[in-house]
Amino acid sequence: MTFQIDSGIDLPGQELGLVSKMPAVENNGKVSRDDRKTVGDITHADPRMTCRDVHVWYGDKHALNDVDLDIGKNEVIAMIGPSGCGKSTFIRCLNRMNDSIDGCRVSGDLIMDGQDIYDRKMDVVLLRAMVGMVFQKPNPFPKSIFENVAYGPRIHGLAAAKTDIEEIVVTSLQKAGLWDEVKDYLDQPGTGLSGGQQQRLCIARAIAVNPEVVLMDEPCSALDPIATARIEELIDELREHYTIAIVTHSMQQAARVSQRTAYFHLGDLIEVGETDQIFTNPKHQLTEDYITGRFG
Amino acid sequence: MDNSPKHTTDLVRQGLAKRYRQEARFRRMGMTAIILGLAFVSMLFISIIGNGYSAFWQTYAQLEVHLDASKIDPEGTRDSDVIADADYGGIIKQSLRDMFPDVTGRRDKRTLYRLVSNGASYDLKDFVVANPDRIGTTIQLWVPADDDIDMLMKGHFDRDKPESERRIKDNQIAWVDTFVEQNRIESRFNKTFFTAGDSRDPELAGIWGAATGSFFTLIITLLLAFPLGVATAVYLEEFAPQNKWTDVIEVNINNLAAVPSIVFGLLGLAVFINFIGMPRSAPLVGGMVLTLMTLPTIIIASRAALKSVPPSIREAALGVGASKMQMVFHHVLPLAMPGMLTGTIIGMAQALGESAPLLMIGMVAFIVDIPTGVLDPSTVLPVQIYLWADSPERAFVERTSAAIMVLLAFLIAMNALAVLLRKKFERRW
Repeated sequence: MTFQIDSGIDLPGQELGLVSKMPAVENNGKVSRDDRKTVGDITHADPRMTCRDVHVWYGDKHALNDVDLDIGKNEVIAMIGPSGCGKSTFIRCLNRMNDSIDGCRVSGDLIMDGQDIYDRKMDVVLLRAMVGMVFQKPNPFPKSIFENVAYGPRIHGLAAAKTDIEEIVVTSLQKAGLWDEVKDYLDQPGTGLSGGQQQRLCIARAIAVNPEVVLMDEPCSALDPIATARIEELIDELREHYTIAIVTHSMQQAARVSQRTAYFHLGDLIEVGETDQIFTNPKHQLTEDYITGRFG
Repeated sequence: MDNSPKHTTDLVRQGLAKRYRQEARFRRMGMTAIILGLAFVSMLFISIIGNGYSAFWQTYAQLEVHLDASKIDPEGTRDSDVIADADYGGIIKQSLRDMFPDVTGRRDKRTLYRLVSNGASYDLKDFVVANPDRIGTTIQLWVPADDDIDMLMKGHFDRDKPESERRIKDNQIAWVDTFVEQNRIESRFNKTFFTAGDSRDPELAGIWGAATGSFFTLIITLLLAFPLGVATAVYLEEFAPQNKWTDVIEVNINNLAAVPSIVFGLLGLAVFINFIGMPRSAPLVGGMVLTLMTLPTIIIASRAALKSVPPSIREAALGVGASKMQMVFHHVLPLAMPGMLTGTIIGMAQALGESAPLLMIGMVAFIVDIPTGVLDPSTVLPVQIYLWADSPERAFVERTSAAIMVLLAFLIAMNALAVLLRKKFERRW
């Protein structure tokens, strides 16, 4: 873990070299609100993806400032923070979904399997086959349920025979907990399902290409509590096979589904830690303010 | 200020009447506009149909024709070439003279011959060639009446006017009345109008030549404009970077949509005909010119259709690892297709109704033959309408209106197709 002094903040005595390498501490033992360097352990013993010095700009706007974070194998890591804090921007860097946004620039190292995913040699199609994504609003294709799930494996050539495709579709739907509800309606349009079912269909579609990491950008924000509960159960089950990075606005959800939590604030990664620790004993004043509902 | 609820509702109530009056006034204005619009459209339709419906009927006269073997086939060979070469005009004239033996003067005789169409001799020839065994007998043959007689029978000439102010003379009226007395005149469905090409004689003129020309021209336009327009729209919307060049291109496409169509005709004349050396009056060149004209329409409509595809579908496709090309062709394009087709059909309907640019490239020529390919000289429906509207014969007035009706029918059919396609392929997400 590095302690860099953010150039934007003038700490007294900085120019004199008097500031120690220890963060400024408030009277209640928390790291001061003005201190924007990351608190907590950003590393993971068995990382799947390693991010270092990640900066993102949208045009002139510095949307993400120097983020270091490991995403571990078979863990669920939750990104929380107030709106516009950069948490969605961060996970969209992990499968380069930001590429399609005009004026978006990403710098830093995002390493997966020893390769920088922003490297020129990295194939975006291949990356997205390994890092799947589920979006905020359920977005099934306006095609049949079967076609929705079969699309990914088909374009990646994962199955040669028709029966293989069918098998992938069935297992994916089963893993997504949707099979029992839709097995008789596979030829019906995916857009005809309820919101929660659509989102589970999107999860099935994402895992049909057998990714290693699944990114979820507020997957439950458009769903009612019952559908949300189902998705949360599902996330817990999926952890066995996949690494999951989830952005959520619901702190309860983060507490329920994740093992580690990262708190973002205005483009800075403020604090990373075990979920229990973040919610019971945050080390940073901003984190505490957020989880106690003082703003957000 | 007193903000008690009672006070507020009083204030709102005071203003309510004014609001309702405004709304009612606006509605009345809207209704008036719609009624006016409908009135103009119905006036247009009523005048065109009122003028044109009679063109779908044509007066036919029955002649008693003696097929004199010495005139048709003097050597009795029954060879169809010999039979086809006979002087059938003379035979028709002979039968008219036989019918009215008291007509003697040269001028009177010439007037008498003009009772039936010039096409009568061709009809007779066709009959004899098909039935050579009837040579030597006397037959009853229905032939189209001359356009003036047709107009007289349809009541477009006033019999009560003094003879000097009429196109039809007294003796002609007397002969026609004789025909009517002998039940030798009748009104039949005007098949010629739908099967023939243009002619100087209204009773022989038809729109099939122009319709075929329009068909070939539109096929060329569709084949060129649709792929070009869709490809341009897809590239500009999905692949092109946003920079100064694409801005310039976009502005120019929008400008092209507003360029007067005759300018495209001049361009076609200068480039396609004079520079490249393509044939004049050909549907190929017409189609290329109309492609230039319809491209902006198709591009703009297609881009709007692409823009209306929700970004979530693009993200979904990219999220499962589709390449940009796969995203566009598997998901975005199918969803945008109904809008693109609608734009294309509207562009095609525009092209179908366009005459000005085609005048420039020579599709305004008088062409009798039905075109058989895209290189044959031909004309198109709106130009045919223009040509007929320019003709002095009274019978062309109703044919002009009838041709307009045919053109309108095609346009309505195309627009209905656009609506149907949109309904059929429209998908909800």
